[in-house]
Amino acid sequence: MAELSTDHLLGIKYITPKDIELIFSIADNFKEVINRPIKKVPTLRDVTIANIFFENSTRTKLSFELAEKRLSADVINFSAGASSVTKGETLVDTVNNILAMKTDMVVMRHPNAGAAAFLSKHVDAKIVNAGDGAHEHPTQALLDAFSIREKLGDVKGKKVLIVGDILHSRVALSNIFCLQKLGAEVRLCGPATLMPKYIESLGVKIEPDFRKALEWCDVTNMLRIQMERQETKYFPSLREYTMQYGLTKKILDSLDKEIVVMHPGPINRGVEITSDVADSEHSIILNQVENGVAIRMAVLYLLAEKIKR
Amino acid sequence: MTKNLLIKKALVIDSKSIHNGQTVDILIENGKIVEVKKTIVSKHKTFAADNLHVSQGWIDMRANFCDPGYEHKEDIQSGLIAAQKGGFTEVAVMPSTYPVTDSKSGIEYMLNAARESSVNLLPIGATSQQMKGDCIAEMLDMKKAGAAAFSDDKRSIQNAELLKTALLYAKSFDGLIIHFPNDKSIAGKGQVNEGSTSTANGLLGLPSLAEELMVARDLFLAEYCDSKIHLTCVSTAKSVDLIRNAKAKGIKVTCDTTAHHLLLDDSNIATFDTRYKTMPPLRSKNDIKALIKGINDGTIDVIVSDHTPEDIESKKKEFDLAKFGIIGLESAFGVLNTSLSKYVDLEKIINTISIAPRTIMGLEAPTIEVGNAANITMFNPKKEWIFTESDILSKSKNSPFIGSSLEGRALATYSGKKLSFC
Repeated sequence: MAELSTDHLLGIKYITPKDIELIFSIADNFKEVINRPIKKVPTLRDVTIANIFFENSTRTKLSFELAEKRLSADVINFSAGASSVTKGETLVDTVNNILAMKTDMVVMRHPNAGAAAFLSKHVDAKIVNAGDGAHEHPTQALLDAFSIREKLGDVKGKKVLIVGDILHSRVALSNIFCLQKLGAEVRLCGPATLMPKYIESLGVKIEPDFRKALEWCDVTNMLRIQMERQETKYFPSLREYTMQYGLTKKILDSLDKEIVVMHPGPINRGVEITSDVADSEHSIILNQVENGVAIRMAVLYLLAEKIKR
Repeated sequence: MTKNLLIKKALVIDSKSIHNGQTVDILIENGKIVEVKKTIVSKHKTFAADNLHVSQGWIDMRANFCDPGYEHKEDIQSGLIAAQKGGFTEVAVMPSTYPVTDSKSGIEYMLNAARESSVNLLPIGATSQQMKGDCIAEMLDMKKAGAAAFSDDKRSIQNAELLKTALLYAKSFDGLIIHFPNDKSIAGKGQVNEGSTSTANGLLGLPSLAEELMVARDLFLAEYCDSKIHLTCVSTAKSVDLIRNAKAKGIKVTCDTTAHHLLLDDSNIATFDTRYKTMPPLRSKNDIKALIKGINDGTIDVIVSDHTPEDIESKKKEFDLAKFGIIGLESAFGVLNTSLSKYVDLEKIINTISIAPRTIMGLEAPTIEVGNAANITMFNPKKEWIFTESDILSKSKNSPFIGSSLEGRALATYSGKKLSFC
């Protein structure tokens, strides 16, 4: 049976288009499973997974935990707040302590870029990166591409726009890598203050005009404005951001084609998109959430296959 | 002690010496050069080697010895031993100690601790008190105690008025200010060079602009004060251009770059390997080209090791949390020569680690001529070798060059009436 080319999921950068196709085909099966009356399979019985979150997360953590439980894995959760990290323990020691209790896989979110890659070199467990700083959030990109494939039949040849804070966004980076690997074209739109100076070296184009960008695309992915992450003010007010980059029903209706609207959540209603857009037939935001569980089940399943048992 | 020594068949690389470019025998008696001739017959101990070259003893213009305060990373003894291993007979040491070396007693501590060594330590005192950048330190008192220059090390002086004051104040006693150009408001918490690699890896970029803005400011200040200034760890193409133009205008600026910035570019950080995390960050291949051009045309005067020891606890970490710094004393010549040998004359290369730093710091040059005290580095610029952990005599091992194949190696030094093998 086919298997992944890597032992960890550290980022989309490190996996092949074939890996992505494999994850999608397994996720197709799991999507069917989670829509059955009995949503659980025994596949990962006797696999112990630690969800280690050094940064706040609600939906990603929930989605992973649900995926793990649907696969019948044993799950432990660890949040940095009340932990030894604040007592000065190193990341490697923290994780090795958890592994000493016989854990097979680690799902980790961490505020520093490269933390998952660093961990994979120093501990003996399969690592799934659930977001590392402004680097990658691979499962989010996979579920985004999976949702586009589900809605439009294929990702190849599609034009995908990513709008907003590209500078601080691991979602943007993983999406760029994933969509490119699947043959889609990616453009970016957002304030120049939130656009990395060298982003075009990744093979994407910047379209500063939001309206033109929307006219170009088949899908628009509206990134969340993360006010809590920004140390400097990159724009004067949310109001002014919304004036320039907020997606409204009025704009959507004025386009001469139908486009698909995505959002990695949680939405700031009335900032990135208005409520009527979020709740419209253009939006596949809740499909993304549902697909997130299936994608994460597929990733965990494929990595568990690599554990020598 | 090896008071007497005969060096056989050595090619002299010393542009100040009448023997420059000649292959000669050199006779040393009681620490002094007594004879330099085509062939000398003597009963003294002899030193001979394949492709043997000699030059004035090498001098490193910036190293950190972490002593006092951080002796678990390096101390003055281990630092001097590491310097000798790399072929250096003199080394200028930064004041990043705890407490900061910002007073006469700090300078005296360093000099006392180095007294027995064959490697001459040149203490650099802090420019500002505790290197806080608020008010200038007692530079005159430190100079009288033996400080070779003044610097706040990698803590760039953000306040232009303070640097102006320091430059003016140091003029009356010919003090040299060494300044590291890095505008903090632009640099922010940047971890690596801003470029395609930082972008693809989600690491916060430190733009070249942070350096270049401050180079420009410092040049204006030096011009205004009519003072000399030495800019350290210059790493970008535009900085080199700015300094080149300033020199042409007659501004009294000199500068250095580091050995590792000549060989390594920022693509190395794609694996989040913290051994490559250094300040200023490793730059692009284009910047390396510009640095080499700057060495060739004399814009860059000096190459330094920027020896910055860090313990494993400070390096085996998430990239953002790891400390900046690379050790370099043991590998510096191999690294800089590997980068430069194809593009720069050997004489020019050796100049950057011997004659130029001494001229800038106003030190006496130990020219290889009869009558002078022998202060000599013996080396083979073509020697191919692999740099291994066993070549590191520093207490810290934070080198990205372990396992690298290098061209050119110091074989031995003679200084302080002593022959020491490298």
